[in-house]
Amino acid sequence: MMKKKILAAILASVMVLSMAGCNQEQSGGGSNDDTTAGTNAPANNGGGDASEEGKVLNIWCWNEDFKNYFEAYYTVPEGITVKWTVNTNDDGVYQQKLDEAILNQSSTADDEKIDMFLAEADYIKKYACSDATAALSYTPSSDIYSYTLGAATDVRNNQLKGVSFQAAPSLVIYRRSIAKDVLGTDDPDEVQSLLDTWDKFDAVAADAKAKGYIMTGCVEETLRCYTNNAKTSFLSDSNELQIPDEFRTWVTQAKNYVDNGYTLTCGRWADEKSAQMGKDGKVMCFFGPAWYYNFCMGTAMDEANGDWAVCVGPQEHFWGGTWLLKSASTDNETLVEDIMKAFTEDETVISQLWEKNSEFSCNRAIMEKYANDETYGNEFLNGQNDAAIMAECAKNITWDPALHTQYDQIFQETLPGRMLEYFKGEPATEEEAWSNFYKDLDEKAPAITHP
Amino acid sequence: MKKHKLVSYAKWGYIFIAPFFVIYIIFQLVPLLSTFYYSFFENYRDGLTTIGPNFVGLDNYITLFTPGTDGTINIVTYFVNTIIMWILGAVPQLLFSLLLAVIYTSERLRIKGQGFFKTVMYMPNLIMAAAFAMLFFMLFSKIGPVNQILYGGNTEKAFDFFANTWGARGIIAGINFLMWFGNTTILLMAGIMGIDQSLFEAASIDGATSWQVFYKITLPLLKPIMVYVAITSLIGGLQMFDVPQVIGTSLGSPNRSTMTMIMYLNNYLGTSKNYGMAGALSVIIFIITGILSVIVYKTMATDNSGKPKKAKKGA
Repeated sequence: MMKKKILAAILASVMVLSMAGCNQEQSGGGSNDDTTAGTNAPANNGGGDASEEGKVLNIWCWNEDFKNYFEAYYTVPEGITVKWTVNTNDDGVYQQKLDEAILNQSSTADDEKIDMFLAEADYIKKYACSDATAALSYTPSSDIYSYTLGAATDVRNNQLKGVSFQAAPSLVIYRRSIAKDVLGTDDPDEVQSLLDTWDKFDAVAADAKAKGYIMTGCVEETLRCYTNNAKTSFLSDSNELQIPDEFRTWVTQAKNYVDNGYTLTCGRWADEKSAQMGKDGKVMCFFGPAWYYNFCMGTAMDEANGDWAVCVGPQEHFWGGTWLLKSASTDNETLVEDIMKAFTEDETVISQLWEKNSEFSCNRAIMEKYANDETYGNEFLNGQNDAAIMAECAKNITWDPALHTQYDQIFQETLPGRMLEYFKGEPATEEEAWSNFYKDLDEKAPAITHP
Repeated sequence: MKKHKLVSYAKWGYIFIAPFFVIYIIFQLVPLLSTFYYSFFENYRDGLTTIGPNFVGLDNYITLFTPGTDGTINIVTYFVNTIIMWILGAVPQLLFSLLLAVIYTSERLRIKGQGFFKTVMYMPNLIMAAAFAMLFFMLFSKIGPVNQILYGGNTEKAFDFFANTWGARGIIAGINFLMWFGNTTILLMAGIMGIDQSLFEAASIDGATSWQVFYKITLPLLKPIMVYVAITSLIGGLQMFDVPQVIGTSLGSPNRSTMTMIMYLNNYLGTSKNYGMAGALSVIIFIITGILSVIVYKTMATDNSGKPKKAKKGA
């Protein structure tokens, strides 16, 4: 009898303890999908008085890119542990988790508080123009492309909240062998002169089709040319949906391209598009910045290295950029700003980023060195100096805060996704595609009003 | 003394079942009731700003049942989508599983290696649904093996299964079928093996054909298990989420025709954290599930006299 009682008591306490264990686990970070910690060797470049600051540096990001660069090129001061929290960007998961964490900062332990987080152009406004980020205590070099600073500026009080280590002028990446066949030349300057307006671009698309080629890799290739150059925002001052004319032009163009077979009928990340980058590829143009050919054109590098070249194309535009924002809850202010300086102003780091990783830096002075270096050439592009074209393009990119909204990711990803469904045939009319998008807005952004 | 012992045993009984009730109350009942409560509030997030909770009465329910610009009521459309995809998967699954169960338990056939077949049939259920869906996404993609076989790699002619309402729905139903038929077969086999063997023997002595044995003995006596299978499958079907989420690329593509009720719920709980609308939607799903379960139970568990099967079991 006694034994049974003891046994029951043990079982009951095990049950209670295991529940308590669960609770403890939940009360921590909670939403961390992938948290990795690593202590680093002694530092050389940890300037400032960092000794009185926190011992754990928490960085939030959406993939391993920056983490890899950080580990390769930055030496963390002794005694500091860097803790990475990585959540995928798909379906806005990164933002959801980040928002949750930001709103709970006050009840989080000091060593768990976010010190720095990364953001993209499509949603940077939400964080830069909020109290989740803090103003930088230093003035960045005047060499930094101004648009990258404009994006990280809080419009409410004109404070700079972060910097982007990338500038991402996006170019037309065309296949030399196809250009030769269709245009009779693969020289970047001549190709540019044949593709510098949309009328010329459309005419070349028809020629390419006649020769059995496909002009663009997906319906979204040309999208950012239009949305980056839009003259109005997607939202009115009263949070009402207003579609920029440029977006409507894109819909017309994309539909026309699909109907005529000038493009593959798929989205940006489709397998069928990547398949066209291989040795038997029929697609002539892909649109993307330097990071695009480095990260997303692996097949092209393996199977058709050197058969590519870049030119500006019909309209200057940009795609991406990775901003480092200083979190308002940081207890590692000096370290955070030192990292920002290293990735935007340190020539050694920036040179390595460009030479080894094709990351076009936000630092104009250093990038122009490559642009003016006659011995520099990119092997993937058959020796073409891509830095020269990008540096020229990046100078002309502007950032008007009035044209950007905190919901831009919905307009740049969900909306084109709805249009793609229409291009593919279901729904049958553009009107239905819009009504599907209005439903997305109701679900994802109830504050926006629409027709 | 004796009485004391009895009370003591009862106490232990209660102590041992207490964890279930404690967990049920904390993790099921409280959330259930709070869902009802939250459904009467406007409460969502806009960027980093939280709006509400403001009491709005039945406004969330009214919004749910207000037709959109295209004249359809979302929740009705998504309910129909869910039911269509469930029927496409569940009906063939039930028939197929029944056939397999009868074959495997047949005394005449005495199939060898049953353990092996049972394991193989159950195997798909061990794979994560999202991974399974991802696999089919690759198989049926425009450059996938299925299109290679059909059109020999001609991308222009290739059929885009995921851009076609019935293609996408069919694939979703097919995945659910493959994942769950093994489970259903095993349940039905257990049900058939629970039937008194002497009934089958008596039937064969009386000269009954296989069909007669199946229709007059197996099927009626299998009804309780069938009801169980149908209700669990229905509830599972109404909660369909992961497979269509992957196949419909989270937009319910094409044309929101693979959007299920739970995907709709998930959209409200995504970026906007709209607890008010999500609460109202959950309450509606709860009510629908309840009503359908009662209907399935009533239609399947009654015999000619109209009384529930269980009431007659003792007789």
